[in-house]
Amino acid sequence: MRPEHWLFTIPLRLRSLFRWAQADQELDDELRDHLERKAGEYVAQGMTQEEAHRRARLDMDGIEQTKEKCRDARRVNWIQDLIKDLRYGLRMLRQNPGFTAAAVLAIALGVGINVGIFSVLNGLALRLLPVPRAEQVVSVEQIFHGKFLRNAVNGGSLSSYSEYLNYRDNDHVFSGLLAYEPFVHATLGGGEMRELLGATTSCNYFDVLNEHPSQGRGFVASDCAAPGENAVVVISDELWRGTFAGDPSLVGKTIILNRTEYTVVGIAPQGFRGTEPIPSSFWAPITMQTVLEPGSDSLTADNLGWLALLGRVRPGVTMEQVRSDLGVIAGQMDQLHPGRKTSLAIRRATFIDRQMELEHLIPVASVILTAFGLVLLVACANVANLLLARASVRHKEIALRLSIGASRWRLVRQLLTESLLLSLIGGALGSVLAFWSFTGITRLVISHSPIPVAFNVVPDFRVLTYALALTLITGIAFGLIPALQSSRLDLNTALKEDGAHSGSGKRSGRFLRNALVGTQVAVCMVLLLAAGLLLRGLYQAQRVDPGFEIKGVATTVLNLMGQGYDENRAAAFVRELREQIAGLPSVTDVAQAECAPLSHDFRGGLFTAPGRPDKVWAYYDHVSPEYFSLVGIPIVRGRGFLPGETHDAPGVIATEATARRLWPGDDPLGKTLREGLPASQTAKAPLGGREYTVIGVAKDAQVAHLGELNEPYLYFPAGPQDNLRIYILVRYAGGFPPIAKGIREAVQSLDKDMPVDVTRLEDYLEVWRMPSRIVAALSGALGALALILASIGVYGVVSYSVSRCVREIGIRMALGADNREIMNLVLSQSMRPVLIGGLVGVAGCAAVSQVLSSMLFGASAHDPIAFISVPLFLLVVALLASYIPARRAIRVDPMVALRYE
Amino acid sequence: MSKPSDLVQGTLDMLLLKILALEPMNGFAVSQRLKQVSGDILQVSDGSLYPALHKLEQEGWITAEWKTSEYGRRAKYYSLTRLGRRQLEKEADNWGRLSSAIARVIKLKEA
Repeated sequence: MRPEHWLFTIPLRLRSLFRWAQADQELDDELRDHLERKAGEYVAQGMTQEEAHRRARLDMDGIEQTKEKCRDARRVNWIQDLIKDLRYGLRMLRQNPGFTAAAVLAIALGVGINVGIFSVLNGLALRLLPVPRAEQVVSVEQIFHGKFLRNAVNGGSLSSYSEYLNYRDNDHVFSGLLAYEPFVHATLGGGEMRELLGATTSCNYFDVLNEHPSQGRGFVASDCAAPGENAVVVISDELWRGTFAGDPSLVGKTIILNRTEYTVVGIAPQGFRGTEPIPSSFWAPITMQTVLEPGSDSLTADNLGWLALLGRVRPGVTMEQVRSDLGVIAGQMDQLHPGRKTSLAIRRATFIDRQMELEHLIPVASVILTAFGLVLLVACANVANLLLARASVRHKEIALRLSIGASRWRLVRQLLTESLLLSLIGGALGSVLAFWSFTGITRLVISHSPIPVAFNVVPDFRVLTYALALTLITGIAFGLIPALQSSRLDLNTALKEDGAHSGSGKRSGRFLRNALVGTQVAVCMVLLLAAGLLLRGLYQAQRVDPGFEIKGVATTVLNLMGQGYDENRAAAFVRELREQIAGLPSVTDVAQAECAPLSHDFRGGLFTAPGRPDKVWAYYDHVSPEYFSLVGIPIVRGRGFLPGETHDAPGVIATEATARRLWPGDDPLGKTLREGLPASQTAKAPLGGREYTVIGVAKDAQVAHLGELNEPYLYFPAGPQDNLRIYILVRYAGGFPPIAKGIREAVQSLDKDMPVDVTRLEDYLEVWRMPSRIVAALSGALGALALILASIGVYGVVSYSVSRCVREIGIRMALGADNREIMNLVLSQSMRPVLIGGLVGVAGCAAVSQVLSSMLFGASAHDPIAFISVPLFLLVVALLASYIPARRAIRVDPMVALRYE
Repeated sequence: MSKPSDLVQGTLDMLLLKILALEPMNGFAVSQRLKQVSGDILQVSDGSLYPALHKLEQEGWITAEWKTSEYGRRAKYYSLTRLGRRQLEKEADNWGRLSSAIARVIKLKEA
């Protein structure tokens, strides 16, 4: 249409839109006028008035259809229809407040929890970094393929310092590329010692991120000029306000980190917490890395991955260009390592954007979203049932509309609009409740968790889009089938029907309702069974025997290397400390180990035995000879370590599981094994391809991972090198507080600046149980929600069936059925879908429960107690939900029922 | 006799526009006039007439006015608009081309 035509027609279309009622009256007048004129013609031809009118009316047969066609012709576009449908729908909802409230609440619940959990995941992994122009910032990771040898700290895809410099100096796509080492631990010295987490960063860190310190300055190029010089630091706003009480003259003063003085040159802007999900308290130049982490020189380690890279892309440059430009540089570096191929993972920077992290997060997130989605499904089934029930009440109205010429599609559209209206109201309510509550819930969870994760759950456009999409899908999901169902009517029977007669609905209607109930019960069963299995697992964990004596042992970890000790000083320190502790009153035994049992500190490596082609991964520990008796691990063959045997001795003690893996069927004593990797470049894993001989076999114990019974494990003797970072284990009698105090005082008497924290070995168990606990709580909560919804659903359907069957029940009672028979009839009909749904749910859960096996601490994924008690519980609840409305059936007075209209 | 309902909807529109181009009139009169000038060949059924008229009004090619008729009732009188006149010219042109093309084909000598 030409523009001026279009403009001209707007007033017409608007008029059609708004003066619809008037237009309808006019149509009526026009057609009546036509009728009169036609009659007039016939009169002029000689008929009587009456006959003329009759003829004229016959001529104009189908006057209603004509009217409908005229209305169709006047229709502006679908907006007019939509507005009509919306107004009609709103009126329907207002007239049935009970139904509306029930449906809206169910939807709000289902949509609300899904939107809430999505906002959590969004804050963790999808939100861009909270820096200016964050869409330009990307993370760069290296993924290696082919033959390669690589050492890594904190993740396999990080870069080395020389690789970073290579990218930085040779790229053409970034306005700046920064590198930082995440998770740098430092002890804040001074009066009150504190453990801090921070990062060492390249000196363009604040510039590239465009976050400038609120006081003082960031780093300048000269701060990174020479390794070990320029001890400067920028601290976070939180640290400044907290520990330093907002001291206005802090900039320029020095603080002590890991026993070295650093000058505070700036304070980061408020709210800036670094680029990791765990907030950083300080940032130091990358050249200070060796000083902050004594004993490891990462700057010169060419094949060590320890730096995360973030780059700000130049405006106008596409991701493709970034990939190809950096790919060229990576390819050049590959040439120095024949057989290796590097591919790059470049993503928009978020808090969780590294390959390794995502590989852990994505499966977990999928399971979580699915579980929450299942609860929404149960809610939808409830609302669908409600709609079906109401539709059969409205069937006369629907039949009438169909008979005067409304197309079925038009009717379905209108019913769907009503459903969408319901879901929009419910979804909006749910989203608001979610925003309001999830912020509080996450704050609560974070404050109680040992890891101070910080992320933002405030809704952004992604969350809102998800909420809207979910609402629309929900509306269609529960609205489509009832809409299609209701509009498929046999007009004759529908119009002839007197109110009560439709029995409990048409066969297909009843089947649909039962199918929905069955689905609800199945979903509910899956969620509750999962919770049940996890609870069994937790119960198991309470009782699990980790294979050693975990109670009555205190432990403390000392990072002497980080405090600037060398081997000799450390050896002397440990020796004196052990003597002092041994002298404490309630101490019965003292030992040392590189990793305490179940401490989440792991050392592992690849080992080969001669004659075996493959390498076996084994965890290992360096322990003093008293370790085995202190911890209660018996040596079943051969001998333990002798006092003279230290790190360089060739003897190793294998566990039974290791022996089974490396020398199945043979006696392991006297066999040799070799470490599979050449010497690495940090001080942390110097096993160096040496050969060892097995001198003893220890009983299996769950010292590395709780619940793992067949893990290969090796014990090496502890030597001077192992004093640099060490766990001291102390077996004591009596109460814990006195021994803790004693150990603390002993440490501080030797070095007053040494940070020391004493815990009980059994407290480590709690950390292992925590994920199970969280998942069990979550699953239980979701299962409970689903149970409530499903119970309401069952209750609703049964009471609806009873009310429809009132006449039939009356007849049966009049014919002599007693209460028990009526009750049996009602209950058997209503429990059938429950039983079927329950069976499906049990089968479904059995099929997928393997997924949970890592959190069950050895309990079977098909644990019989869970698989019997949970379904029984659900059955009882469903029976109750059916019984209560069924009682109404037996209260029916046959005389009243037979007359019931 | 062929009724206009056998023709494509577009042709009916064109015919109605032309009738209204002669003079403004109400719906009944339009169908009567069409019947008359075509020698009873073109007859519009009531079921097609009014939807077509309403559509023409919606498109802005005709406009309507409520006047008191000679019977003393209110009646709706349609008249052609400027846009409608242009549309009529366009459709008449198309129709001319179409019909002469069809005539050419039909007049072909058979072998």
